[in-house]
Amino acid sequence: MSVAPITPTGLPIGVERTAAPRAVTGPAFGDVLGDAIASARGNETTANDLASRFADGDPEVGIHETVIAAEKANISLRYATTLKNKLVEAYRELMATQV
Amino acid sequence: MDFFTAMEVSASGLSAQRVRMNVSSSNLANASTTQAAGGGPYQRRDVALQSVPMANGAPGVNGVVVQRIVADPNPPRLEYDPGHPDADPDGYVAYPNVNPVEEMVDMITASRAYEAGVTALSTSVSMAERALGIGR
Repeated sequence: MSVAPITPTGLPIGVERTAAPRAVTGPAFGDVLGDAIASARGNETTANDLASRFADGDPEVGIHETVIAAEKANISLRYATTLKNKLVEAYRELMATQV
Repeated sequence: MDFFTAMEVSASGLSAQRVRMNVSSSNLANASTTQAAGGGPYQRRDVALQSVPMANGAPGVNGVVVQRIVADPNPPRLEYDPGHPDADPDGYVAYPNVNPVEEMVDMITASRAYEAGVTALSTSVSMAERALGIGR
């Protein structure tokens, strides 16, 4: 009669080994948000620069360049804000999970 | 963001139309200038536009730049005015080859093209705003 040896699992009795955490693919949300904020900041800097150059009478800078730069800054800031709102909304949704 | 490509294309068009407007104004302002920088009467200027691919390499999308500003080779208009300081020995004064009516037409064209560019730009902006409003 042979007795099968007990193979140690290294886990306390009653605890099943869970699947390893799955690697996240694709850009993290923080990176996307960071990129959006960096782009908004860049566009805002450009808009400020053009506005002051226009005010100084730089002949290279026209009215429409200035207004378009301001509009781009506006859109990219709103894009970053929208992303931030979505993140917060998703976080709240998860925190409200019933356990 | 790709909406910016359309905005940049429109912006390049607006700049080109602004140059056309500047050149037309210069032609009108100098319609009776008999002494230009190179000697002789002012020569009417014309704008040559050229399409260029966008800096971000968006396929099939071209902006526009002013390739060069060329002088109109048509001969000056001769008018008999012996009392004029720039009259030649026969009493004729060489006036610029500028036709004010033609310049007015050019100005209206530039102005309408500018308006069209602004409309395209506003449409891009409102599309971007619409996109930002998705799911709100």
